[in-house]
Amino acid sequence: MPHAEPVAAVPTDAALIAAWQGGDEQAAAELVRRHARALARFLASAGAPDADLDDLVQETFIRAFRGVGRFRGQCRFRTWLLTIGGNVLKDAVRRARRAKVVPLADELRATDGDPHERAVAGEAEGRLLDGLGRLSRMQREVFLLRAQQGLAYDEIAAALGTSPGAARVHYHHAVKRLKEYLS
Amino acid sequence: MNRDELPDAKLQELAQRLGVRAAERLDVERTAQAVVTRLRETPRASVVTRLWMQPAWLKVAATVVLLLGAGAVTRGLWRPPGSAAAGEAAAAALNELTTDQLQQLLEIVDQPTEAAPESPADASLEDLTAPQLRELLRSLEG
Repeated sequence: MPHAEPVAAVPTDAALIAAWQGGDEQAAAELVRRHARALARFLASAGAPDADLDDLVQETFIRAFRGVGRFRGQCRFRTWLLTIGGNVLKDAVRRARRAKVVPLADELRATDGDPHERAVAGEAEGRLLDGLGRLSRMQREVFLLRAQQGLAYDEIAAALGTSPGAARVHYHHAVKRLKEYLS
Repeated sequence: MNRDELPDAKLQELAQRLGVRAAERLDVERTAQAVVTRLRETPRASVVTRLWMQPAWLKVAATVVLLLGAGAVTRGLWRPPGSAAAGEAAAAALNELTTDQLQQLLEIVDQPTEAAPESPADASLEDLTAPQLRELLRSLEG
């Protein structure tokens, strides 16, 4: 009877982080492969324009790898990465506003997205994007981490530096406002 | 169905669809290689460089904190003990004066005067030196 091939162990994020800190570039590349799409989804939902998405994803990973010494496992690496993505997006919005460049205007892509994409995405998704653009940053991020990424309030709170109770309140405010907007 | 009754499940489903197409368009392998290349090409910034790369408000705040800290240290080293208490007592007395009286006082203290009192225990306006009074008056005016 043939023996089954041993399954190669998949390194954990923590192992890849340690390898990167030890100078292994491929460990960094693997972390990017593992989390880039989730990050891109989060950023796009938070209002990042398509044209800037790749740059924002790269910048987020660069900041994360540079600051990985500050990551103490308080939450999952992906959650931590998403919060850095939120900061990167905020900085990009601020820079665009200062330079008076239009693509990131209206702070987020809330109302001026690509019409074709909006048509394909459907009216409801477009409206939700608009609604998200009207929330406070905290409400938007808590909502996305909860509703889109499926994270628990404990995890969200640890990543955003708040309490689980406060995260829950932000989520419920976000849902209430989004429902009002969508109605 | 009334849109007010939009259930959370529907909202969640919508949220989960957001950004999917944009994420699919991302060339993950190219992004991974670009990140590795950028990490390799730009050496880790020094502490000073990282500080300088912070937003402007942070730099301003850091500068203010440094200046205040330096000022506090300097004042602590140079000011005789108890002069703060003297200043506070005099400030209380100054609050009672009218604008004209304050103006007159400013004119008086602009003239050279004698040395400062040795003990601030019973400090009053008369006990303050000209520079101390001037500083006090300007802080009240400002």
